[in-house]
Formats: sequence, structure tokens, C-alpha cells
Amino acid sequence: MASGYHGCVLRIDASSGHAERVPVPDDVLRAYLGGSGLGTRLLLDAGAAEADPLSPEASLVFAFSPLVGSPLTTSAKFAVVSKSPLTGRINDSLASSGFAVAGKGVGCDALVITGQAPEFSVIVIDAEGVEDGALPAVRLEPAADLRGATCRDTEERLRAKLGPAFRIASIGPAGERLVRYATISHDGRHAGRGGSGAVLGAKRIKAIAVRGKRRTPWARPDELTALSRDLSKRSFGPATAKYRELGTATNMLVFNRFGSLPTRNFQQGTFDGADSLSPETLSATRAKTRESCVACTIGCEHIYGFGKDGAKAGVRVEYESLFALGSLCGVSDADAVLHASKRCDELGIDTISAGGTIAFAMECVEQGWLDAPWLTFGSGTALLRAIELIGARQGLGDLLAEGSRRAAAVIGHGSIAIAPQVKGLEIPGYEPRALQTMALGFAVGARGADHNRSGAYEVDFSDKVDRRHVTLDAVRHAIDTEDKAAMMDSMILCKFLRGVFEDFYGESAVMLGAVTGWDVTSDELRETARRIVGAKREFNLRAGWTPAEDTLPDRFLKTPLPNDPEAALSRERLDALVTEYHRQRGWE
Amino acid sequence: MHVEFFGVPRERAGISELELHADTLGQLLGTLAERMPSLSEIIQHDRLHPAFVANLNGDRFVTDPHTPLGADDFVLILSADAGG
Repeated sequence: MASGYHGCVLRIDASSGHAERVPVPDDVLRAYLGGSGLGTRLLLDAGAAEADPLSPEASLVFAFSPLVGSPLTTSAKFAVVSKSPLTGRINDSLASSGFAVAGKGVGCDALVITGQAPEFSVIVIDAEGVEDGALPAVRLEPAADLRGATCRDTEERLRAKLGPAFRIASIGPAGERLVRYATISHDGRHAGRGGSGAVLGAKRIKAIAVRGKRRTPWARPDELTALSRDLSKRSFGPATAKYRELGTATNMLVFNRFGSLPTRNFQQGTFDGADSLSPETLSATRAKTRESCVACTIGCEHIYGFGKDGAKAGVRVEYESLFALGSLCGVSDADAVLHASKRCDELGIDTISAGGTIAFAMECVEQGWLDAPWLTFGSGTALLRAIELIGARQGLGDLLAEGSRRAAAVIGHGSIAIAPQVKGLEIPGYEPRALQTMALGFAVGARGADHNRSGAYEVDFSDKVDRRHVTLDAVRHAIDTEDKAAMMDSMILCKFLRGVFEDFYGESAVMLGAVTGWDVTSDELRETARRIVGAKREFNLRAGWTPAEDTLPDRFLKTPLPNDPEAALSRERLDALVTEYHRQRGWE
Repeated sequence: MHVEFFGVPRERAGISELELHADTLGQLLGTLAERMPSLSEIIQHDRLHPAFVANLNGDRFVTDPHTPLGADDFVLILSADAGG
């Protein structure tokens, strides 16, 4: 067996609490690595593509990686992989920190959860005092007392009860109520997109608590130590300065300047209130502190306080949350947007899908298609009310908890044309008409509109393309970013490191070799990345994917961006880009 | 021309914008480096560090130091990492 791996997964049936160690052959590990790749492979093998994601038969995978537990910076990450209850397609969401280390520390490369608990429960996995190579102790504990608890409360109460060495991934009230974009959270970080929290909630599992210190050996420890020191040193340089100093929120003013900041449900690409939501302004007016994930030297998390309260009682601010709950809903009141973001975290809701669905509903109200006169663009009060209703699945919230695509089917009036989603997943903060390589990335994304599985926006922000008039030449660049993301999400390293690599695949091969002992090359890793993207495609095919899904809503293909008439993308041009993408992938 | 700084370049420059005269991108960056030593990590001689990019008038991203500039041009300087 390769170093860096335990060579097995821990399969747990939530119906009975029964657990077993299932070996994973070396060739599978080398072909899919870990994280998103390994998780997708395990789901394919389990027949998860054909199952209802909210049924007991559905599988939910927590996949670690060969780098977890190593001294390489940002390696303490895990992927949560399942069929999405929002899209009906593959969903892989990543989160960070101690759960990855302790989860791998119970002696497996992935947890695979199936079944449905007879009562609301916590899965406790404890390797303390268990011999290496033996099955950790696994049990179901009743969790009725945790019903309705926020993710943070759940973690605190479980650690107080079970012991401080436990690390916990949990769902909030939204996951319990099967909100289709509910998150799984750990230590304030979220496997946010696609509704994995609803999958766990459907299994009547509030949380998974892990305790374990089993280590895997490193093939060449001295080399790995030297590589880790070098990577950490580079992580302090200019390539990560944006994340350290201002965080992702600094995109707000940049995107506004470029007319690509989605505003009022993508009706505009500029927002008058952008300045009030920018980190430049927030930093000047509020208490602020920074935090890091375990084993991270970047420290990208910028926590802002409310009013005179200290930052410790505040909220972690990210661009995607600011855009979705701010400009997309037309809300410029920073306090309202920060409170909305915090409530989404507490309830366990993806901020992008929440903001996208609420903004869609606001426009439907504006059009007279939805009878909810209180839900108006620009109202922070309405935004907060809508989030509470979604978390509770009460009134209009029950419809909005289904996401914008399903809501549009109920609302009618052709509202699907303005539902801001691809394959059911709400579009993140990149205006497709103004960033057309990203538009292609959104259209073909395996999990739907997604900026983490396709980094094509970087192509638009470069001299490789004309972002408002992209040609077929953009396709190879979009594929490159998608492949690189698949590799980073499977190896796993944080994407905020991507700028420090001069030769990403070559350097990745050296790191993987030092950990695993494999004689791996950059060419092999390029092939591995393509294989992982292909595996997601295979999952979607089995789940019923058709080519018609690889597109954008009509709004983007029929209407130029009002603030920038040059930002226009016709259906014919997008279709040509998608066809060329399929051709280059070998998927005609 | 009009120069606008965003994100880290703005933090380093300590201002959000200024007016300068230069005939080319390289000349502009050289002048900025001379006037603002705090930009030393961002500007390497007449080019930007690869972690940063320049954009002309919100339209075109430019890297060639010989790129001609006009008096009415807007030059935006920002981080290359556009994502979140």
C-alpha cells in the first residue's frame, strides 16, 4: 500500500450503526487520489447516481486525501461528495480544518454513510485506544436534545459531552428540515454548495463526531519536510497577499468597476452600494480579526464585528456571501448583509443559493408573479425575514427552500428564464455576459454553475481572451482551469495557493511522490485530472444528464447586460463554445 | 492618464487613484515604482509581478511594457487572482 493512505474506507450504515472497513486497491487510490476524485469513484461504485439523494439508499462520502496530516500548508481539507438534492447531479463540496485530520486519524481514507437512523442521532467514531488496523468504535447516539441547534452550538455541546479531542461535522436547522441547499459545517467552515446537509438530515444524522490520531507514514519524510517549508514560505508572498490582507471580499470593488458584479438578480452588473460592502470600507468602520484553518499559513478568514461588538462575535466575510446577500438582492446596508450571512451560517444554509433564490423571488414579486409584497430589492429586513422562513421552511420559505429552479416551476409565468441557476445550482458572483469564459465554465460544470470547479474567470481577467467576445480559443483555457481544480480538490490543497506554483502539475507530482512513494509525473497527473472530471461526467450520465443541461438561463442569452451593451452572449455562441468543449473533452 | 488601484495595490499605494503622464505601460510602471516605494513588491522594473495585472479602460488586460498609453486612458492595477 502507498504511504499517505490507510488503504480502506469506513462504511457506516446509519440504519443500524454497523460499520466495516472496506479495502481500496492501490490502483484506485492512484487513479483518483482522494477528496473529490476518490469520493466520486466511491459513489459510482456504490450506485449512488441512480438513487434518490434523500433516500436511505443514498450514499454520502467524506473523503480525505494523501496529504491530510502532512506538514504541507493548507492540506487539512476534506470533500463531502454525494448526489445533490438540489441538482440531481454530482455534488462535491470541500471544507477544512481539524475534522479532516481527526477523520483520517480514525484509520480510513473516506467515510461512506448510507441508510437512515431509526431516530435523530449522532454518529460517533472513536479510534482512541484501538489498535492500528482495527475497526474504530462506531455508535449511534440519540440527538433529540440537539434538534434545532446551530452548527456551532452542536459542536460545542458535543465536544463538552464527548471530549475535547473530538472533531465534529454537523448540520443546522436547515439540514434537519431538508432545505435543498443546506450545508455541512465544521469549525465555522462549510461544505456549502449543493445541499449535502439535506442528505445528512434525510439520514436523521445531526452530526458526525470523530476522534483519532492514527498517522500514515510518509515515503520520503526529509524531502516532504523541505517541500513543506518551501511551500509555506511561498504562501507568505505576493501570490496570496490578497487573501491575507483583504480576503476574497476585495473582489467587490473590482467586479463593480468591471461591470461584472451581479446586481438585483443579474439585472445589472454594477451596484451603487458596492463601496459600503467592500472590505476597504468594512475595515475602516468595524472591529476585525483574522483566523486560519488548521495547518494553514495563509489565514484568509476575515471576521468583522457588528456595531461596537468585537470581531469575535462577528461573522466571516467572503465575496460570495457579500455579493449574494448584498448586490444580488440590492441590499447595501452592511449590517443587514453581515447579519444575513451570519444567520445562514447558523441555520446551515449555502449563502450563494440563499441569496440567488431570494433575489429571484424579489424579481418575481417585482414582475407581479409572486404575491409577497414585503419581499423587495434593497430591503435588509425582507432579506433577513426570507432567510428565517427558509431555515424554518415556513410560508414562502418552504418554496424558496427548494431553490430557484424548483421555485420557478411553481411560480410559472416563464420565470425559469430569470432563475439564476445552471442544473439547479445558483450562479455565483460572476456576471456571465461580462465574463464569457466563465459563462462556458458555468454551463458545462458537472455540479452546475460553479466557480470552485471551474476557475475560468481567471482567463477572463487575463490577456488570453477578450472577456466580452470570447472565441473558441477560450475553450482550452476553460478546460485547463477545470482540470487544475479537479487536481487541487482531490490531492487536496487549498485553491488560494494556486498562484504560488510556476509548474503546478510538476510540483504536485513531486509533493505526491514524497508523500506516497509513487514515481508520479506531471503527465500522469494531467491524465488523472481529466479522469476525475470524466468520472463526474459519468456520474451525471448515469443520473440522467442530457446535453441540453449544459447551458445558461435565457436571460443571459437574450438580453445584453444593461450597463454594458457589449456584454452580450447569444445562444448560438454559447452553444458553439459548449460543443467545442465537448469535442475537446472527447464527449461528442 | 488616470491610474486606479484595487485591493492589495490600493493598500500598498495608500490611495485609490492618481493622474500621471506616460507614453507606455512600462514607463507608467517605472514612474509609479519610483514615486511609491511601497509598490516595490508589486512592480518589478517595468512590469507587474505575476500576481498582479493591469487593465486598460476596463476592456483589455495588458502585460507588454511597450503597450502605448494615451492621455485619456484609464489604467487599472489589481490582483491577478480574481476569484473567491
